[in-house]
Amino acid sequence: MFSVSRDYAPPFTMIAPFFIIGSIFFFVGSIFLLFLHPQNGHFDPMIAGWIHWYLLGFVMMIIFGAMAQLIPVVVEVGHHSVDLYYVIWPMLTVGTLLMVLGFWHYSAVLPYGGLLVLTTMLIYLYDTLMTLKKAENITMTVKTAVAANLFLTLGIIVGFIMTLAIGAGVNIDISWWLDTHAMLVLIGYVTLTIMGLSLILLPMFGLAHGFDEKPIKRAFNLTVAGVILHLLSTITGFGFGRELAVLMVVVAIGYYLYQIYLIYSVRARKENDIWAKSMFFAYTSLVIASILGIVSIFIKNEHIVLASAWFMIAGFITFLITGHLYKIIPFLVWFERYSPLVGKQRVPMLHEMYPKKMADWEFYFTSFGVVIAGVGILFGIDDLYHGGVALFIAGAGFMLFSVKWMLSFGKK
Amino acid sequence: MCNITKEQVYDAISNVIDPEVGFNLVEMGLIYDAIIDDDCNVKVVMTLSTRGCPLHQMLTQWVKDAVEMRVDGVKSVDIEVVWEPEWNISMADDNVKKALGAL
Repeated sequence: MFSVSRDYAPPFTMIAPFFIIGSIFFFVGSIFLLFLHPQNGHFDPMIAGWIHWYLLGFVMMIIFGAMAQLIPVVVEVGHHSVDLYYVIWPMLTVGTLLMVLGFWHYSAVLPYGGLLVLTTMLIYLYDTLMTLKKAENITMTVKTAVAANLFLTLGIIVGFIMTLAIGAGVNIDISWWLDTHAMLVLIGYVTLTIMGLSLILLPMFGLAHGFDEKPIKRAFNLTVAGVILHLLSTITGFGFGRELAVLMVVVAIGYYLYQIYLIYSVRARKENDIWAKSMFFAYTSLVIASILGIVSIFIKNEHIVLASAWFMIAGFITFLITGHLYKIIPFLVWFERYSPLVGKQRVPMLHEMYPKKMADWEFYFTSFGVVIAGVGILFGIDDLYHGGVALFIAGAGFMLFSVKWMLSFGKK
Repeated sequence: MCNITKEQVYDAISNVIDPEVGFNLVEMGLIYDAIIDDDCNVKVVMTLSTRGCPLHQMLTQWVKDAVEMRVDGVKSVDIEVVWEPEWNISMADDNVKKALGAL
């Protein structure tokens, strides 16, 4: 019998900081975009600093908060040591700030930030892997979670060695290892985690049933093989292997998108709420990022690489997260404040617990911002990029206020 | 002999609402059967709209509470959650399908 009791669910006070801090990193990170110049290329320390601000402070922070809640649902057992989440968010916050400071101003502090982030990840990994070990029902989602967390470990170790190279003079070719670091973390962890979770969350919120799961299995196998091939090729200096690995990941994303289409086509819930709109924009962005990624294999152009990364990070990952925040935060608040009142008084429905107009404004500003800034990056037009970023900042501001509104709902 | 009817049990459960979709479990088609024996022991056979539902245990507890509190003469309530047949939208009432855009 599958069940998730209140005992398994982490306390609200433990998870709420992840969403608050993540949203602040999202908003402040959007402002920092104004000071970046995409024409400098992806080796620019300013861009590297921003990517770490955004991926660690916003993306990882929210993923960790969501995983604290979702892991018991996915593996059908409680956390191994849920209290560790109390130390994860402060350590990740400080580690991220130090790393960004290292990239932008004082390279000597980079290894300290890196060490803090590495330690945070190891704590998270310890709890996650020990929890996954207890799983009896080894589903596709459990497999993706295990693989993703192993890649995260490798990715963070590679990243930490790179911080030693920048801040402490360790002799490695950073430009050679940077792609593998990005492959391990962005594809091996973030994308694999998204693949696994979307197999749970999209059918759950869309009420989709009876779809074929073969495409996601192929996507999973290809992604794992691609990431491993990339790592081995980097170690052995096999350049063609790295390009083949990128191609495998692109094919994997194609299978993943086909899986999403299958889920979408059988969904019973067809209303276009903020979640559905966000998912539509996220997956459209993934298609654009993939096309640009394929083009970048054949045409060596920095603008195309950066535009692909922009649509992947600001379009796909960001909207996947913001869209789900309108589902996850109301659920957490409802679970904490209203579930004990069921049967005793009228309790609100989850769709009443997010600010609809503010959410719509967030969606329109952020999505237009992503598209306009993306076009600016692709064609190297700075004014267009900054115009798009201005809209993106407004959208991130609406998101921050929406998160505050949702967390305050029903608070006495 | 027990006088409790299936209709009474279904009426009681219709007070349990899924907070995600806003409909009660009966009109969602999630209640497959209610078996009442001669001693007024009630067994509710039900499913959920998704296997990974974070509200799983709470929903089953609410169903149990609803039957115990709202049906007179119940001796015990047992809830069995089954995954076969798998729930789909065709099992829901027309008003649910219409509201979700599936009709």
